[in-house]
Amino acid sequence: MNEQHSGKVVIERRYRASITDVWDLWTTKDGFESWWGPQGFRAEVSEIDARVGGALHYEMIADTPEMIAAMKQMGRPASHPARARFTELRPRERLVITSVVDFIPDVAAYESRIAVDLTPDGEHVRMVVTLDAMHSEEMTRMQEQGFTSQLTKLDARFASAAAGR
Amino acid sequence: MQVDVFQALADPTRRRIVEALRGGEQQVGDVVAKAGIHQSGVSRHLRILHESGFVTVRPDGQRRFYALRPAPFRELDRWLSSYRELWEARLDRFGAALDDKRNQRQTKSRKKES
Repeated sequence: MNEQHSGKVVIERRYRASITDVWDLWTTKDGFESWWGPQGFRAEVSEIDARVGGALHYEMIADTPEMIAAMKQMGRPASHPARARFTELRPRERLVITSVVDFIPDVAAYESRIAVDLTPDGEHVRMVVTLDAMHSEEMTRMQEQGFTSQLTKLDARFASAAAGR
Repeated sequence: MQVDVFQALADPTRRRIVEALRGGEQQVGDVVAKAGIHQSGVSRHLRILHESGFVTVRPDGQRRFYALRPAPFRELDRWLSSYRELWEARLDRFGAALDDKRNQRQTKSRKKES
């Protein structure tokens, strides 16, 4: 009930990596595109300007046959643009990416944030990601498209494939 | 999840009303006091919450009592966990991308040595 109460999801990870490498995955085109996804999609960054107020513009493109078919079935384009900004930035320490969600009928525009906090820890980096889950742009769009169950199904399929390796 | 179920809670005012109802069944006046919103707004938002299945209404003479229904909240729980799964998978890929970087660098430095 806690997460539901605040609408926030907090995920903590510890990676064996340099803090510069971790930072670059969030703040450079190649870095961001290498992991963002999500499953079944790839991201294509058109603008990434890691300064306070700087833009993060990218296209989310369905790139597996299953996902392309799923989007087609729903009568949706296979890609959609995402527009966000870096609203806080302390190099190699903290960044906040904010998107404006202004496409839900009958709901006033609101902001959705992804906050990332990095702490070096010997040869590792601790990364804490805090998400406005209830109001995330990505999930809102997917929700809007009746899309989540589809995605969960695909994720489950990939998970079982991975487990079988 | 139905889109309207989600939309119902996308609005911050409606989330305040839901918070106000957590203590149990209440009349509009109590909700107004707790949520700090004007009565006309509260009535409209309660109607939307009722239509989307979050809130039940029990008339008692002239009075109407509002309460939360658990079912859509269970749906929200499921939705939050699917959101968490999406990010867990994403951060797995983040880790894999870091490993790739390190491996590339090691291969490079090995080439230099040889």
